[in-house]
Amino acid sequence: MSAAQDDSRADSIRMVRDSAAAVAPPGGDLKRIRTLRFTDPGFDRATYAQMGEMGWLGLRIPEGLGGAGLGLGEACALAEELGAVLVPEPLVAGMLSVAALAAAGAPLDDALSGRLYLPLAWQDRADVLAIPAAADAPRRFVPMAAGADGFLVPVREGGRIALYRATGSATIERTQDGGNFGTLMPVLGERLAADIPLDGLLDEAALLTGAYLLGGMERAFAITLDYLRTRSQFGKIIGTFQALQHRAADLKMQLALTRASVESTAAALDAGATGDARRAAVSRAKARAAEASLLVTRECIQLHGGIGYTDDYDVGLYLRKAMVLANQYGSATLHRRRFMATAPEGDE
Amino acid sequence: MDAIRIPLPAELDALDDEHFRQVVRSFLHAHYPEHLRNPPKRLHWAENKEWYHILAREGWLCPGWPKAHGGLGLSPAKQIILTEEYERHGVARCNDHGIVMLGPLVIQYGTEEQKRFFLPKILTGEHVWCQGYSEPNAGSDLAALRTEAVLDGDHYVVNGQKIWTTLAMDANWIFLLVRTDKHAKKQEGISFLLVDMTTPGITVKPIINLELHDEFCEVFFDNVRVPKENLVGQLNKGWDMAKALLGFERIFLGSPRQSGYALSRLKILAERMGVADDAAFQDTYTRLRLEFEDLKALFGVYVDKLKRGESLGPDVSMLKVIQTELFQKITDTMLEVAGENAGLLEPMEGNRDLNLGGLYIQARPATIYGGSNEIQRNILSKNVLNLPG
Repeated sequence: MSAAQDDSRADSIRMVRDSAAAVAPPGGDLKRIRTLRFTDPGFDRATYAQMGEMGWLGLRIPEGLGGAGLGLGEACALAEELGAVLVPEPLVAGMLSVAALAAAGAPLDDALSGRLYLPLAWQDRADVLAIPAAADAPRRFVPMAAGADGFLVPVREGGRIALYRATGSATIERTQDGGNFGTLMPVLGERLAADIPLDGLLDEAALLTGAYLLGGMERAFAITLDYLRTRSQFGKIIGTFQALQHRAADLKMQLALTRASVESTAAALDAGATGDARRAAVSRAKARAAEASLLVTRECIQLHGGIGYTDDYDVGLYLRKAMVLANQYGSATLHRRRFMATAPEGDE
Repeated sequence: MDAIRIPLPAELDALDDEHFRQVVRSFLHAHYPEHLRNPPKRLHWAENKEWYHILAREGWLCPGWPKAHGGLGLSPAKQIILTEEYERHGVARCNDHGIVMLGPLVIQYGTEEQKRFFLPKILTGEHVWCQGYSEPNAGSDLAALRTEAVLDGDHYVVNGQKIWTTLAMDANWIFLLVRTDKHAKKQEGISFLLVDMTTPGITVKPIINLELHDEFCEVFFDNVRVPKENLVGQLNKGWDMAKALLGFERIFLGSPRQSGYALSRLKILAERMGVADDAAFQDTYTRLRLEFEDLKALFGVYVDKLKRGESLGPDVSMLKVIQTELFQKITDTMLEVAGENAGLLEPMEGNRDLNLGGLYIQARPATIYGGSNEIQRNILSKNVLNLPG
């Protein structure tokens, strides 16, 4: 890539980051997030529609289909910004839904604009990254299903994956972050397409989830650094204690590795990586983000001491979010296994 | 591999990166002595001067020096490519303190006379340099050094002791950090002095390290008289100069190559031991590979910075910590996988790729030299995270 292309790409990513402030003001408080958690549907429909208006749900959709036609570099930057302030509106699931509709060649205006939330109900059990063999298998862990206006259900037909509209209401279970999962007994409706490239779409969702986690880790760590710089015990600012300094340095290194992992994966996919190369890169990033986000957020609690264990204090919200997202679209274990199966060896 | 034409040294910096990489590969195939590839230990001058003289003859000895002084004038990005290809080929490190440290010091801070006298002698191999920084009571706390130089007429009189001086027995010149003002704040009374090792009063004593190798020395100075024109730069400004010399080369402490080398040996070992398909081994091995891949990605972030012409901040310390600790984790795993072979003094089955104990021991100082990992974490917490104290 030429220097000029590099620069224009960096500008494009910066613009996406700046635009995120409309919904996720940097350093903004988490009052809105606290108000919405443990309610139905767990997010704000008007904000979700605003995200559609901003073009975020169609960020990856070609311009000819009404999307923004941007790359994963931009999409990851957006997910990261939203993760930093724990935006509960389902960005990743919404993007996945729009992408599935686009791949099916189905009308997507209502989904693209955020007027309708039509999550993809694709998995029949925990910790998988493939769809079930049986069309009527219950679909589980549908994100923010309490706000769904209907569902999209991929069905294995021969060697292909068809996409259906489905109706029925989901059984709702609340999640640690204040949102919810749905379980759907699918009643298949209109068949939208005979074959969609679901693997690639799930890979993107996994990577974007990693980026969202990265944003959350960064913010939780920043809150913790502020605390280390101001909290005093034994007559000293606790950030002067080397035991705590070195733990903070270790977390900084995890953050740097996670960022490098997510951003290099986004760049590889934007440069056209496919097949095993794509799967290995995505698995590397998601495995890192899952493990690091849990580590960083629980260390943030420990570095705070008692105050970190209160519900009023914000670092706990980041811990809860990591608990939900670390395993969504594949746990660290799943992705390590997939990395082992797909990553080429050599040149080490 | 198709041999490609090797351009004149002065033309190298103008090549595009990929072409340059191919040229380096061809150069190594054409010139690097086969018997010096991947030596199990750091080589002495008697062993590696052959390569030093080849580099000198071909004009490739000093990649980072300006062309006007006989260097290749390569950008940091090209120097990284050069180093990557040297490492890939298994090129032994030569006695390079003159090339990497003293040369740049003299070029930046030396007088015209110093440049005329010292630089050509590095280029011919007539002067082989070593670095006199650390002392018994000034290791991580280098600024606490006490070897002193007192002006007496036209000479400085040097008394004191240096330690961990790499390959001092091979060197005929040493560059020293010496205390020239005992009353100033500790960083402000230090100067740079260049000393001919044949001057009376210098004693060199090798130290046998854990590898059972005499790579390091103690160097003692007993009333050693050094002409005062051998002072480099301003009196009492040595600390600032030493810091300024720590340029982009710090990135090399975080080069993934060392971990990559160890990881590929771990794989060979696992196959030899029949555990390559064992689930427990695969889990460990996959974790190490993932660490390695993410280290490569992070290293790439810093290489890209250099390519854009940016300088490196204190955060580059992260690379050193991550790389060296991964290197150790890999060698730890090798020992565990090897069973009783772990205790063998010589490479397992006489295979140089299975130098288990050797690699395990070589991995130990990685977290100590170049600023221990504890010092690196101090740097990160103070200069990157802005924690107090």
